[in-house]
Amino acid sequence: MNTEIRFLQQLETDLTEAAAREAAVLRSDDSGSGSGFDDDRSRRLPRRERHWGGIAAGLVAFLVLAGSIGFLSQNGSQDASTASAGSPFIAPGDAAGEAPAAQSSPFPGFANDQAQGVRGVTSDGTLTSGGVSYQAAGAGTDQPALNAGPGLPAAQSQGDLSKIVRDGRISIVVSDGDFETSQATVTRIAVSSGGFVLTSTTQGQNTGTFTLRIPAKKFDVAMERLRAIGEVKADAVTGQDVTAEFIDQTARLQILLDRRDLLQSLQNDATTSQEILRLAGLIEQTQLEIERTQGQLRYLKDQVAEATIKVDLREQHAPEEETGPTTDNPSLADAIRLGWEGFLRVISAVIVGLGYLVPIAAIGLAIWGIVTLVRRRRRAAS
Amino acid sequence: MPDQRTDTELLLASRDDPEMFTELYRRHAEDLLRYFARRTLDPETAAELTAETFAEAFASRQTYTDKGVNGVAWIYGIARHRLGRFFRHGRVDASARRRIGIPERELPPEDYERIEDLIDFAPIREALSEALETLSPDQRDAMKLRVIDEMGYPEVASRLGCSEANARQRVSRGLRKVALMLQERGMQLTTEVEA
Repeated sequence: MNTEIRFLQQLETDLTEAAAREAAVLRSDDSGSGSGFDDDRSRRLPRRERHWGGIAAGLVAFLVLAGSIGFLSQNGSQDASTASAGSPFIAPGDAAGEAPAAQSSPFPGFANDQAQGVRGVTSDGTLTSGGVSYQAAGAGTDQPALNAGPGLPAAQSQGDLSKIVRDGRISIVVSDGDFETSQATVTRIAVSSGGFVLTSTTQGQNTGTFTLRIPAKKFDVAMERLRAIGEVKADAVTGQDVTAEFIDQTARLQILLDRRDLLQSLQNDATTSQEILRLAGLIEQTQLEIERTQGQLRYLKDQVAEATIKVDLREQHAPEEETGPTTDNPSLADAIRLGWEGFLRVISAVIVGLGYLVPIAAIGLAIWGIVTLVRRRRRAAS
Repeated sequence: MPDQRTDTELLLASRDDPEMFTELYRRHAEDLLRYFARRTLDPETAAELTAETFAEAFASRQTYTDKGVNGVAWIYGIARHRLGRFFRHGRVDASARRRIGIPERELPPEDYERIEDLIDFAPIREALSEALETLSPDQRDAMKLRVIDEMGYPEVASRLGCSEANARQRVSRGLRKVALMLQERGMQLTTEVEA
């Protein structure tokens, strides 16, 4: 280069050295003796790739921020309305039937067992569902009074038809050495309430699980008495409204009975043996359906008439994992289901967070755009 | 024997053979320095922008593809971008030089006059006289002696009673301020056609 400017001469030397360094790195890459030049390699990344890398990093940071905001906001709203998602237990008096609370419950699958028609029931017997509030009439009846909200189907507004299957689960910790006494108390509560102990499992004379069947009208009293046994670690009550199913089955039974009567009268009037035989077949088929429907109605009545209470009883210093309800049915399917639910919760948190962030980002972008535009115009004007 | 390849060919070849880039530098370094000097009026700034532009071009040469844009026009594109940043922020950063491991170097004293010689002050002398009024007295006096009266730095230094290095610095800072101010007012500092 024909220049007298020393700065340019020096810069040429610097650039030549930089080129030589990079050529050496390229040669070492080609010969496969790679490591030790990570910095140089990253420097040689095409600008476009670095550009996209920056955008991707920004996007990830944005989504993480959105997820955090979504999680915090969801958590906050749950704290305000139902049992906290982070809380290990559902305290007495908290709504227990809502899905998020059920997920955080120490009784996994308990609320989920009620596949349909589940409504939240607070432990004082109030059952809640969107726009509808049921108030169980204390211990006095298994037909809870019903205050129907607007828009409720006419059939459900008849209080005497309401059928609710109630289930309770309670985890109690008693003082060391009191297990046997407490076990006897549980049995006494079941019997004195007019019910019985359906199943009983004890481990090591200090932990046990009992399933009680209690007449529905004694359910709340029994739960209260069970709570008095020791320190309540967890407590959940759910109610499954089977009114609609009960009405359906009753109507179906009536139709089947009418049909059978009609078929029998036709059979009486029949003149040919072929016709008589065909009608007999139909009557038999109808009879079978009648019996099946009656069986289902009986089952529903039993379920409504008797509530189930599952009691986990444990001495204070007994190993927790032995009675831990979470280990009841460990399975891969459960793990996958929980993982999937967790994934969906993260996605929903991100979406909620984006709901907060996107409008703010849009406003910020608009302000930035206006400021830039004004600056450019001012510069151009001056 | 000089390399017969075109600028575009050299730039493309430098993607796999980095040393080819040096030839490209030899061909265009002084022109680019002149380009910057005439726009910034300041030798220090012009030298720094030149170094930064070539460093950026070297670091980014993998992104250059021959789509009909001449290799040197691509480098001048980077130069315009760097110049725009200088006018916006009033300073030159050294990010590209750092990226490829080139140190920041001081402008040697003797280069000030050589680079100023590349600047044609004649067309902007009038505008300069007005702009001088906005400078500090030290810078204004140094600038008047050097640019308007066209004195050498030893004489400027003796008139001002300061060292030569100090005189160069005052003129350099003054020129930079004037260039930024003229740019803000939308004045074209040069009428030459860009490469």
